[in-house]
Amino acid sequence: MTGQARALTEPMAKEMATAATALSFDEAFTLHHRAVFRTARSVVRDSALAEDVTQEVFLRLYRNLDATPGEDLLRAWLLRVTLNVARNTLRGQSRSMARDNEYQKETMQDWFAPAPEEDYERRVAIEGARRALEKIKEPMRSCLLLKQQGLSYKEIAVTLSLKETNVGSLVARGRKEFARVYGKIGGSR
Amino acid sequence: MRECLDEAILQSYFDGELSGKHLEGVTSHLATCNTCAVTAREIEAENGLLAAAFAPEFETAVPTEQLRRRIDAAIAGLQTQGLPVNESSASTVRAWLQSLVAPLSFGPQRAFGYAGLVLVLGFAAILGITQWRTAGPVVDQVASTDDVSRPTKGFLGGTTAPVDVQTVTPDAQPVGTLPVSAPSPRNAVAKRRTTNSATHSSGSVANKASSQPDEKVKLLPGERSYLQTIAKLDSTINASDRPMRPALQAEYQRNLALVDRALAATRDAAKKNPNDPDAAEFMMAAYQNKVNLLNTVAEARTFNRQQD
Repeated sequence: MTGQARALTEPMAKEMATAATALSFDEAFTLHHRAVFRTARSVVRDSALAEDVTQEVFLRLYRNLDATPGEDLLRAWLLRVTLNVARNTLRGQSRSMARDNEYQKETMQDWFAPAPEEDYERRVAIEGARRALEKIKEPMRSCLLLKQQGLSYKEIAVTLSLKETNVGSLVARGRKEFARVYGKIGGSR
Repeated sequence: MRECLDEAILQSYFDGELSGKHLEGVTSHLATCNTCAVTAREIEAENGLLAAAFAPEFETAVPTEQLRRRIDAAIAGLQTQGLPVNESSASTVRAWLQSLVAPLSFGPQRAFGYAGLVLVLGFAAILGITQWRTAGPVVDQVASTDDVSRPTKGFLGGTTAPVDVQTVTPDAQPVGTLPVSAPSPRNAVAKRRTTNSATHSSGSVANKASSQPDEKVKLLPGERSYLQTIAKLDSTINASDRPMRPALQAEYQRNLALVDRALAATRDAAKKNPNDPDAAEFMMAAYQNKVNLLNTVAEARTFNRQQD
């Protein structure tokens, strides 16, 4: 997994290296671990795997601290690595294996934790949004996801290797498509 | 700015990506152009929908402390392996402490190992309990339903008939005579009876079931087995001499309403778009949610009954 992902990230790290206001590793973790974890979870759809991905991403940051971009684009760099690592993680597992694991996990959750009502509602809501998001094509899907996490168009462009001028129209198309698909789930409420 | 604005510009406007003259231009155009004002309101509404849809996911807790511990341990691991690292800020004492902690931490592989062990032990324990307390045959029925009713391969085909008809106990009540306290399955059946929009495979195992008396009914593909499972679980839940605990009852009804709402919406969509695989998949997922909910409640009821 690492070779390919590193090949993708390293040139970017060099090109963006603006040693200007570099954050310390601790600051970077405090500021960005939530975005990394959530982005990872949205791809791998599993908290334990998302933790693995987050760990790998911050280890890469640790190893490349001198070569990472300054404060303004650090989040974009981290999320770009996150998407690479998360997708490789998914690819690394055979699909059926992943599904079986997920199935077993869900089963066990049902057995052991009859969740309180809020949790159940929340779970249904999260699942609905994920299902709808899954139907959106890339790169619109990632644009939407990153936008919802509060990234600027510039950060989105850097994360996904897009032209910044295209991000607005991709977000717009993704938004429309999401509203259409989400409506089918009855999510328009 | 006389020309109407395209959606990308309007999107950028709402996302706070415009500045200076551009921003002023859009603002003044929106004040005078009715068409664009309408589009702008639509975009605003859809942005709100998106934010609301993602909120539950983003509000879910992030395990900050655990992540921090894992990453510190992993960095300590890097340092003890003598791999080249670019930062030397972690003190040697801290690294030494972390190296002590490292063997206790859950690396990914170890975590999977433990998870597997826990799964196996958990299933063994449940099996053991159900065998040991043979108080009610219902337990076996629920358990076996649970096993076979969760399709692990794609929802779309409908060929992975999620329920084994052989497991229907002879005394399972037919759908039409279900007790009143859980109205939803009958609603679903009633809705099913009014629809003629899709065909079902006439040779399927599901046709054996005597609990579907109306043979003229056209089900959407794959629906029948879910309906059977639901009816069966429903009768399990209601086939008790004592009433449900009030707390469980309230929670059950609320969650059931939630699931049924989703089911009705997805079913409508699937009916209107018979050729849309997404719509069919969403509907099957809604059915699966209902089966999962009923399973959980049936299990809770059986367990409580045994404890009394």
